[in-house]
Amino acid sequence: MRRSFTAVLGYFAGGLTLLVAILVPFVLMGFFSNTVARAGLHVDEGYSGGVVARTIAKNGYRIAVNQPVKPHLLQRLEPFVQIVWEPASALPAQISDEVDLDGDGRPDVRVTFAVPTDAQAPLRVNVASLNDNYQSLAGVGKESFSRLIVRTDRGIIVRVPLSRCPSKSSSH
Amino acid sequence: MSSHPSTLERPPAFRGVGKSLLLTLPILLWSLLMFSRAFLQPRHELRLASVVVMLFMTVLFFLMMRTGTTYRWRRYFFVALGLLFPVGFIADLVAVRGTMSIPIDRMVSGDTPFCYMVIPMLVIPAALTRTIIFPGSILPTASNPHSIAIMIGLWLALTLVLGKAWCSYACFFGGIEEGFASVAKKPKIRRIDPRLRLVPWAILLAIVLLSAALFEPVYCMWLCPFKAVTEYPAVRSVQTAIQMAIFVVLFLGLVIVLPLLTKKRTQCAFFCPFGAFQSLFNKINIFEIRIDREKCIDCAACRNACPTMAISKESVQAGRTLSSCMKCGACVDACRKHAAVWHVKGTATGPSSERSRLLFLYGAWAMATMFGGSVLANSVSYLLHFVM
Repeated sequence: MRRSFTAVLGYFAGGLTLLVAILVPFVLMGFFSNTVARAGLHVDEGYSGGVVARTIAKNGYRIAVNQPVKPHLLQRLEPFVQIVWEPASALPAQISDEVDLDGDGRPDVRVTFAVPTDAQAPLRVNVASLNDNYQSLAGVGKESFSRLIVRTDRGIIVRVPLSRCPSKSSSH
Repeated sequence: MSSHPSTLERPPAFRGVGKSLLLTLPILLWSLLMFSRAFLQPRHELRLASVVVMLFMTVLFFLMMRTGTTYRWRRYFFVALGLLFPVGFIADLVAVRGTMSIPIDRMVSGDTPFCYMVIPMLVIPAALTRTIIFPGSILPTASNPHSIAIMIGLWLALTLVLGKAWCSYACFFGGIEEGFASVAKKPKIRRIDPRLRLVPWAILLAIVLLSAALFEPVYCMWLCPFKAVTEYPAVRSVQTAIQMAIFVVLFLGLVIVLPLLTKKRTQCAFFCPFGAFQSLFNKINIFEIRIDREKCIDCAACRNACPTMAISKESVQAGRTLSSCMKCGACVDACRKHAAVWHVKGTATGPSSERSRLLFLYGAWAMATMFGGSVLANSVSYLLHFVM
């Protein structure tokens, strides 16, 4: 009696698995994907650059300043701040901007780079530190996740390394 | 399906053509449904490739029904998937970014296609900090349709159906070594220390803990042999040069040379941490392979046939396979006494084994057609594009 009951349960589960297989492309894959998307997950800031803290309007373009990114426990990542000049199509041929990174009203770095018309052309950036909390960069391209200049669909991203690691709760 | 024990005896033609065609009909209809979108694509190479792949999958399923064997027909699909996946993937990469390497700007903008191998390493960082330690994007974008949410959703759905059978019906990497393992008639190396079966578990534990501590996908950065045939970090430094060298050496050793010498899927059996991770899902999957002790004559044919050494002397004595069994069907096909059988947990072993096999194969082949079939069609379309 018990054996036939477990057999019925077994075949029921087998049939259920087949039903799941049929539902995968129509319902289940989307359901699982939406569940993952709604789970409040985010890509590590070392890759994404973190969240935007402030936006500074310029003549025809804007500068988005992100919150500082600090490494996790043993993460091999130099702390940095990401700055985005956007949109790339509206940028002048030469950028030379003083940027307030910590939101205290005073400029912290002067960032200088050329914007070539060819989107594939390599970029180089110079960063002059005006605040001891930020490091200077000279002719940097894509050295590491913490010191780089790259062009993306969004705009031109510059990452400036910090001299010291900010506390987790620090914000602008 | 008759449940009389005599049906278990496998003559050369297991079923008649008519009955085999009837059993294949659901797979043909499923294939038509799965490829219907591809038939509407403007690229005629993709339309033609979809027809070819649809027929390929349907014919293989028909042969499974007709002959009553599983392994060798599944292997044709699986090896084709393993060998053709890099063709389509690399062609896609070169078309989009002009190189197989991942430039840092692509990682920064979240354009790295998500790979399921990274999933075990995501668990602890995601659970503790809600952070995904992979340079992709959560939601699909125009430049990266293989987003994290889509790929994890697909993996979850397929794992529910397949369990560890993922490794023999869905993994596009395993097919490469299965192809090389099929080349030699007899193995040059026969004695393999069974303790090597524990290595994937050790690697899994190490990479999960290291990835959580270092906040980076350690396996992908240092150990994945398949980086050699998919994508890899751009070689910009001594570190990335060493990483690339490791990928190539592991690929040559574990995926080409050792399978040629041992006729085993050595990367899967003795290295792959994702395979070990998938073994955990065998516990919740309803399908398994059983060994009928009353029929077994301890000839070791099943142990020799198993490509991942998932059958041991002890497990045969217990009438089971090990948890690393990926349900490829090699042992069932190799057993002349029909002691190794497909089985649904909770049911009696013996008369119902063909029913269990059918129940498993419909789900597994449906997933293989949906997932692997689309990969195959994409790759074949590139080949047709180059030829035509």
